[in-house]
Amino acid sequence: MRQWMNIAKEAIARASIVVKFICLLHVTDAYLLSSSHVLGPSMLPTLNTTGDVVLVENLSHRIGKLGSGDLVLVRSPLDPKKSITKRIIAMEGDKVTFSARNHSFLSLVVPKGHVWIQGDNLYVSRDSREFGPIPYGLIQGKVFFRVSYAILIAFEFVPNIDFHCLYLFCNVGNI
Amino acid sequence: MGEWSSFISIVRNLSLLYVTHKYVGTAAITYGPSMLPTLNITGNVLLVERISIRTGKLRPGDVVILRSPQTPRKIICKRLIGMEGDQVTYVVDPKNSDRCKTIVVPKGHVWVEGDYIYDSKDSRNFGAVPYGLLEGRAFWTLLPRKDFGSLAPKPKS
Repeated sequence: MRQWMNIAKEAIARASIVVKFICLLHVTDAYLLSSSHVLGPSMLPTLNTTGDVVLVENLSHRIGKLGSGDLVLVRSPLDPKKSITKRIIAMEGDKVTFSARNHSFLSLVVPKGHVWIQGDNLYVSRDSREFGPIPYGLIQGKVFFRVSYAILIAFEFVPNIDFHCLYLFCNVGNI
Repeated sequence: MGEWSSFISIVRNLSLLYVTHKYVGTAAITYGPSMLPTLNITGNVLLVERISIRTGKLRPGDVVILRSPQTPRKIICKRLIGMEGDQVTYVVDPKNSDRCKTIVVPKGHVWVEGDYIYDSKDSRNFGAVPYGLLEGRAFWTLLPRKDFGSLAPKPKS
């Protein structure tokens, strides 16, 4: 019986070190830097349809240093389990003019505590033109870097190096 | 070397505490008149759990804490009245008139109201709130001592 108690104590002690280390990693991930895989056509030509690995920093939106023109990762107001990537066009208090689906122009002022987001590819993007300004609290982080396909080619993850990949070779660095 | 390892262990313990706070549950201090008679004006300490939000097991009648859609740094405490797709009837301005309005809660949103509708800024003012703003479900009152216990259900008006 005593042997089992000792084994259990040692197992718990070792497991707690691992758990604490994972928690430390998570805190870094949530408050400093994390990565995300984004895909979809709504941010062409900035981001690819087939998918990009981007680095997301989670500090700017907490200290209020986000502004219009920033690419952000937000929790979708239509489906809370999904995160979407769009660009901030206007902050609270700014006036926004956009064309609705029936090609008429509408103007509104972004209310307090909200932001207006749009995808770069206006033709296929579901954004604030559809669901209105979103509360600032839904923003999860700011996208600031795209991991280059050059790194993937170097490690031979991409089996066929065709002209498309050679073009992507140049797309490295700040967005 | 000794100071470094104790520093690391402090940071690890704090991270564990943080992850519990973010993903399991935490305590919240509430004040203000908008949830009378369930909560006091001067303040309550509530136990909040975050698991129901993530698994989607919320039901109308739960007291929830959420990030304010108008002031993103503030966390407010209200009662969940309707989930997405529910039809909600509410009194628009109870201090001045008895006019009611009925709306259907849009997809991905919830409708929250304070228990004391005469002095509460809630969905009747800022509309249905996206589900992503919900932070936790309050299920137990710790302080004051006389209110220790589970939170009361919605008072019948």
